[in-house]
Amino acid sequence: MEAVLQARGLTFGYGHDAPPILESWSATFGGGAMTALTGSSGRGKSTLLYLLGLMLQPTAGEVVLDGTAVSGLKDATKARLRAERFGFVFQDAALDSSRSVIDNVTETALYRGASRRDAIARGRDLLDRFGVDVPAARRPGQVSGGQAQRIALCRALVSSPRVLLADEPTGNLDPATSDVVVRALRDHAATGATVIVVTHSPDVAAACDEEIGL
Amino acid sequence: MRVGALIREARASATSQPVPSIITILMIAGMMIAVMLTTGRSVGAEQRVLGSIDDAGTRTIQVRAEVSAGLTADVLDRIAEIDGIEWAAGFSSATDATNTAIPDGTRVPVRLAFGAHLERLGIPEQSPVPGGVAYASEVAFAQFGLPDVAGSITTSTGSTYGMAGTLQTPDFLKGFEPVTLVPQPDATGSETVNVLVVIADRPDLVAPVSDAVLSVLAVDDPTKVTIHTSEALAQLRAIVQTQLGTFARGLVLIILAITGILVGIILYGLVTLRRKDFGRRRALGATRLLIVGLLLTQTAMLALTGLIVGIAVSFAVLLANGDPSPGLEFTAATSILAIGTALIAALIPALIAARREPIRELRVP
Repeated sequence: MEAVLQARGLTFGYGHDAPPILESWSATFGGGAMTALTGSSGRGKSTLLYLLGLMLQPTAGEVVLDGTAVSGLKDATKARLRAERFGFVFQDAALDSSRSVIDNVTETALYRGASRRDAIARGRDLLDRFGVDVPAARRPGQVSGGQAQRIALCRALVSSPRVLLADEPTGNLDPATSDVVVRALRDHAATGATVIVVTHSPDVAAACDEEIGL
Repeated sequence: MRVGALIREARASATSQPVPSIITILMIAGMMIAVMLTTGRSVGAEQRVLGSIDDAGTRTIQVRAEVSAGLTADVLDRIAEIDGIEWAAGFSSATDATNTAIPDGTRVPVRLAFGAHLERLGIPEQSPVPGGVAYASEVAFAQFGLPDVAGSITTSTGSTYGMAGTLQTPDFLKGFEPVTLVPQPDATGSETVNVLVVIADRPDLVAPVSDAVLSVLAVDDPTKVTIHTSEALAQLRAIVQTQLGTFARGLVLIILAITGILVGIILYGLVTLRRKDFGRRRALGATRLLIVGLLLTQTAMLALTGLIVGIAVSFAVLLANGDPSPGLEFTAATSILAIGTALIAALIPALIAARREPIRELRVP
């Protein structure tokens, strides 16, 4: 199994005086695999996810994507990588309540410079696939929590990312919707991508190929 | 991100925050109204005053040469080489003429006219009839006894000219009234010129152009040449323009500065309110430059809307009150300044928004 994403000796702490949340942490994430990051609250699971997703800068160590160290790159390059190679599902969906469902789904594709028409077509396919049965023009505030999380999942998948990072994607969902989300993550891993999920759910962890405890 | 997508995102961002957007539009509109109804009105009045001064002939230089001075028509060729001259023509000394049909009628002075652009006086480039023709002012026609603006005149030297049309007597020829001119399109350049009229491009060029004209007169006896300019009037014009212009510029700068500060505060508040929005965008791949571009585009759109509203209201008020409007040039310049001020005011909030760590902003409750 090829290594898609690697953490090499990652160290990170919030603030100069605070003790580091992560210290010299290393792991390798292969393509086609889904990995669960588990552990009690405050152990740095989400922080690790954001370090791997190039949203935080490690104080030491590096993140390697497809053999290239990327955590030390310029901010603009990392932003482009986030748009082109990464997909994110946040715990609270983090949708833009002022925009329509389809605008939310296509947001990342627009940062990549992809055509709006293509992005909308792909977004509609994903919404259909995940059973989001609401008009695409509807606002996120007018849909249920489960639908919002599926919309966030569509947004993460619209660019067919090489790495999909999900922060407690089923945290606020009923079992049926959780199954839909987990199945979608597994399906994406099956395309050869790396999927990393932060979760407290034993069921989600059990559905993963590997579990890393923090 | 493509430009179309950026504009669409900026428009969506503006409509998603209606209160700060409307306040920004009203600020810019208010600024524009304040500028147009104060400075703009002053500029309009200034233009009227300056126009009146200009009508009085601030740009005219008149050279009078006695016949013995030796000023000839070829001086116009030399004057044509001088920069800063709008128009020039030469006129011979006057010869008496009468209506050919009334030899004992009123004697009216007639002058030969030299120059390449006599259309300014109402004399066409090509003569409408063959042979020598003359053009006269309404006053001259009346004195000739030609109320129908037709007929012919005969000079005391025996030359006869058909009357071809009416002259539009400009201010600088009012002193010649009653004016009758005989254009000389085929002049050799050796003809004697008695009066030379030169109009400078701008009032402030009157003095240097006068010096230049004097240097190319090439007369036999300079003591028999006198030059009359409206330099004093031109200086008065410059003083009026400087005084009013300084006041107007000062007021515009004050209003722009106040508006810029207020727009900056509003946008800083907007950026603070939308920390989570910017955090999400950054996390999903928006670059810092894109965040800056998004806020500046949004600001430019709001400023443009405010400008349109402000200009429309201002012109309506000026029109309703019968006040002078400042004109397109002032309005365009003020509009560019207003948009520039709004963009500069938005730059600091935009940079602040772009510099924040995405995930810290996303975690804002």
